[in-house]
Amino acid sequence: MMRSLLIIAAVACVALLLGAVLQPRGYAVRVVCLILLAASLGQCWNIVGGLANQVSLGHAAFFGIGAYTSTMLQIKFGLSPWAGLPIGMLFAALVSVLLSIPTMRLKGPYFSLATLAFGEACRIVATAATGLTGGPQGVSVPFAGNSWLLLQFRGAGAYVPVFVGLFVVVCVAFTLLANGRLGYMLRAIRENEDAAEVTGINTLGVRLAGGAISAALTAATGTMFAQFTFFIDPDIVFSATSISIRAALIAILGGVGTLAGPIVGALVIVPLEELLSAYLSNKAAGIAPLIFGLILIGIVVWRPSGLVSLVTQRRGRT
Amino acid sequence: MTPIVEVAGVTVRFGGLVALSDVSFAVRPGEIIGLIGPNGAGKTTLFSALVGLNRPDAGAIALDGQRIDGLRPHRIARLGMTKTFQNTALFPAMTLLDNVVTAAAVRLPLGAARALARDCLEKVGLGAAADTDIDDLTFPQKALGEVARSLATAPKVLLLDEVMAALTPNEMDAVVATLRELRDREGITLVIVEHHMRAIMRISERILALNFGQLIASGTPAEVSRDPQVVTAYLGQPDASHA
Ligand SMILES: Nc1ncnc2c1ncn2[C@@H]1O[C@H](COP(=O)(O)OP(=O)(O)OP(=O)(O)O)[C@@H](O)[C@H]1O
Ligand SMILES: [Mg+2]
Repeated sequence: MMRSLLIIAAVACVALLLGAVLQPRGYAVRVVCLILLAASLGQCWNIVGGLANQVSLGHAAFFGIGAYTSTMLQIKFGLSPWAGLPIGMLFAALVSVLLSIPTMRLKGPYFSLATLAFGEACRIVATAATGLTGGPQGVSVPFAGNSWLLLQFRGAGAYVPVFVGLFVVVCVAFTLLANGRLGYMLRAIRENEDAAEVTGINTLGVRLAGGAISAALTAATGTMFAQFTFFIDPDIVFSATSISIRAALIAILGGVGTLAGPIVGALVIVPLEELLSAYLSNKAAGIAPLIFGLILIGIVVWRPSGLVSLVTQRRGRT
Repeated sequence: MTPIVEVAGVTVRFGGLVALSDVSFAVRPGEIIGLIGPNGAGKTTLFSALVGLNRPDAGAIALDGQRIDGLRPHRIARLGMTKTFQNTALFPAMTLLDNVVTAAAVRLPLGAARALARDCLEKVGLGAAADTDIDDLTFPQKALGEVARSLATAPKVLLLDEVMAALTPNEMDAVVATLRELRDREGITLVIVEHHMRAIMRISERILALNFGQLIASGTPAEVSRDPQVVTAYLGQPDASHA
């Protein structure tokens, strides 16, 4: 527990430091922001994927809900994203509970497929519901100059403290869950559901709670993403590959169920994405994702329990 | 005295197989009951039905006067009845202590849960193995670990499914003493499934015998061991079950 909090504090400090010294409108600080967002996304996923071992491939649903809720409330009602943020979180938590009704009893790959389908359904609905979402051409967050109130800034530099805040909240939530009563229960359910029930654990309720927390935090990450990119469309924020699968991949690559996992995963994946798209996309379109995929497959085959296992050979909690 | 457990006409089917057929019995508070029967008789199925892991196709089950059939296992556990798993089902990626803490943490804050968990491990004689990984425990230790985890739920009724399997006679005597102490000190009602006849006859005050899903005998150890149906069931004579 203490170690986990120290890791979070250390990463937060390094990010803040980089935010302070790097050129605020530069590319490097933008990568720092992307890493923080990716680590947060992976950590949200880690709450259900890691602690409860429910490999969700539908987290884009919650990410998109967060991004669209705050953005549309701002466009239509001039509501600050700070107000849209909790509304989106609540909405996502509610959707996660509703989604749980049909998916809760599904096991392993069936759960994954159902959540994948749900994420895709959300993308299709968001594309079709033009009145609600602006449809396939997407919506832009109106820029009204640098403003903390509206959570928008020119250049990536100013976002660093905001995203560090998000990162810290998500990571601390994970740590408290992992080390608290709910964490024990989630792990018990992951290990043996019948035995968990017979020892008095309400497996449905605990899963529901874990899923709702994960969904709400994912929605918060979605809101932050929209504020950062100023433009969202259904294919971006409800994307199966670049949100849902990526969220899982970040955690799995680094080390599923560990605090450090998604952090390490984000530190590997984001620079890799950036490098490959910078050096390869103009030479041979389409080859960048291929190489990206091959590298990831290689790492997962080489280290099935994640890169974190290079340091912590022992099984256990971080 | 009202029975703590009352089973009335319980039937459980798996497809065409009738694993339990119209089973009825009652258990008095604080009793130690032995449940015997050949392999496949339905002992584990009965335990699973009692704790809610499978739902009876017919019949009723009451705990402390309250109907519990149809309730989910965690509700039944919180009402005071839980079981151990025959092939042991400890949570493998946790230490033994954390297994027991998990059960205690359902109703207690973590600090208190840890203290209770250590207590439960001491009671079954596993205090020294608290920080051991599950994979490193012997089978008898795992079985006792299950008992400790069950105790952490503060049960009124504890169903023990072959926790003494693979024990030496001396170890078995020790476990029998431990179990009796649990009943004497804490008033926990015990229903014990065991194939080892010497142990089950020694510890039980009353024995229920199952064969092919039917309750074929009930009585004191002496009575049941003389019961012709029980004798034929164990000797495996043909048509022993079709009484
Ligand atoms: N989930 C299940 N699905 C189908 N059949 C089952 C299931 N569980 C048990 N059975 C069958 O029900 C019957 C009773 O099994 P049960 O495990 O209750 O016996 P048991 O008395 O505990 O035997 P043992 O002494 O070997 O543990 C057996 O014929 C078994 O094959
Ligand atoms: Mg059995």
